[in-house]
Amino acid sequence: MKPLLITSALLFAASVRRPVFVVALACSLAYLASRGVALGRLPLIGPQDTLAFFSGSIGLMALPFVYDRRLSGVRWFCWGCGGLAALFAVLALPFPTLNMPLPPVLDTYWFELHVALAFFAYALFGIAALLGGLFLRGAGRPVLDLQYRAALVGYSFFSLSMVCGGIWGYYAWGTYWLWTAKELWTSILWMFYSLYLHLRLKGPAWERGFAWLGIAGFAITLFTYLGVSMLMRSSHSF
Amino acid sequence: MLKKLYATFCSLNLGLWLMTGVMVTLAIGSFSKASSEGGGLNDMPLLFWLQRAPLGYSWWLWLCIACIAVLFVNALVCSIDALRKKGRSVAPHLMHAGFLLIVLAHLLSAYGGFKQQLQLPQGDSFGFPDGERVVVERITGDVGPMGMMSGYRADLRTADGVHGVQPNHPLFHKGYGIYIKDVALSPVPVALFEVHREPGALAAFVGALLFTVGNLMLLAQRRGR
Repeated sequence: MKPLLITSALLFAASVRRPVFVVALACSLAYLASRGVALGRLPLIGPQDTLAFFSGSIGLMALPFVYDRRLSGVRWFCWGCGGLAALFAVLALPFPTLNMPLPPVLDTYWFELHVALAFFAYALFGIAALLGGLFLRGAGRPVLDLQYRAALVGYSFFSLSMVCGGIWGYYAWGTYWLWTAKELWTSILWMFYSLYLHLRLKGPAWERGFAWLGIAGFAITLFTYLGVSMLMRSSHSF
Repeated sequence: MLKKLYATFCSLNLGLWLMTGVMVTLAIGSFSKASSEGGGLNDMPLLFWLQRAPLGYSWWLWLCIACIAVLFVNALVCSIDALRKKGRSVAPHLMHAGFLLIVLAHLLSAYGGFKQQLQLPQGDSFGFPDGERVVVERITGDVGPMGMMSGYRADLRTADGVHGVQPNHPLFHKGYGIYIKDVALSPVPVALFEVHREPGALAAFVGALLFTVGNLMLLAQRRGR
C-alpha cells in the first residue's frame, strides 16, 4: 500500500491547483483506510502511521480553507498546504510499517479519539501558521480572521483530545494526569493557544504579533509531537 | 485600595503574563529530572512530593503553581466582572469555570491522592484500610501470534462478590480504583496491580464538561463571523 502514500506525497507536493490537492487527499485517505482495514483499527501507532495520519489530517482540515473564496486568488496557499502534507508523508516513508496488534491498554475508543483529535488540531495549527505567513506577506485582514478561525477550531479539537486523554488515562492508568515531558508540552501547547485566543482581545494594534504567534504555535506543535517523542523519554514516545 | 486590587486582577495583561509564566516554568520542568520516569513525581501525591523534594529539584514547579494560583484568581475575577455587564456571552466564562474546576481537581488529587503497586500471585489477597480483604481468585491471559499478551484479566473477590479487572476496565471499590497492569502466566500466574485514589477525578470531569460546552457555544457564536 506504500505506493498510495508515495502518490499522495507527490501529488500534494504538486498541488498548485485545487483539483490536484483533492486527488492527493483522496490518495492519502485511501492509504489510511487500507491501513485501517488491514489493522482493524485506526492507524495511530508508530512513526509511519502517525506521520501518514498527520499528512492526511492536514489535507482534510485544509480542504475548507483551500476552497474558501477569500483565498481563491492566492494560489500558493493551496500549494503551501499541499507542501506541508507532502512533507509529513515523505517523512513517514523511511519508517517500517508496524502491523502489531494493539497493546491491551491502548485498545479503547478513548485512545483513538485522543490521538485522532490531537492530529486534527495539529493540522489546523499548521494551516493557521500558513495563514499567518500569508498575512505577513501582505494579505489583508480577512486572512487573519481565517487564521483565528483555524486556531480556534484547532484549539477546540485539542481541548477535546485532552479531555479524551484524561478519561482514557483514568481508566487505563488510574490517573487523568501524569508528570511526563509529553503531558507538560501538551499543556504548554494548550496554554499557548489559550494565550493566542486571549490576545485577540487587545485589538488591531496586535495584528502582526497575532500572525507571528500563529507561526510560533506551529513550532511548539511540532516540538510537542516530534521533538518530545524523539528527544525525551515519555509514556507517549513512539 | 480594594478597587486597585480588583483592577489588577481583572487585567488581561496580567493573565497573558501569567500564562507565559506557566508555559516557561513547564518547559523548564520538562527538561528537569523531576519529570523523568525516575523523578518520583508520579509515584506520590504532588503535595507530598513537594514537601520532600529539594528546592533545587522542584523550584520550577513551585513557580508554576504560584503562576497558576494567581491565574486562577485572575480568571475568576475577569469572569465575575464580565458577567456583571449585560449582553455578554456566557461561553468564555463557562470555559473559565471549567478551567477553574480542573485546577481545583488537581489540588484535590495533589492533597488526597493515593497510589500503591502490588504484585500478587493467584490465591493471594490484599487489605483495605477498613480491614476488608480482596482475594485474587483467578488470573488469565491470552498470548497473541507475536508472543505478546493480547489480553489479560483477574477475578477479584470482595465482600460483595467476584469482579473482573482488565486493562481499561478497573474495579472501583470504596473510593479506590484497582487496576491490573501486567500479568505473567508461568511458572505461576502473577499479576501486577495498582491501587489508586484520585479525589479530583469527578471535579476534573465536570470541569472538562463545562469547558467543552462553553467551547462548543463559542464555536457556534463565531460561525460565519
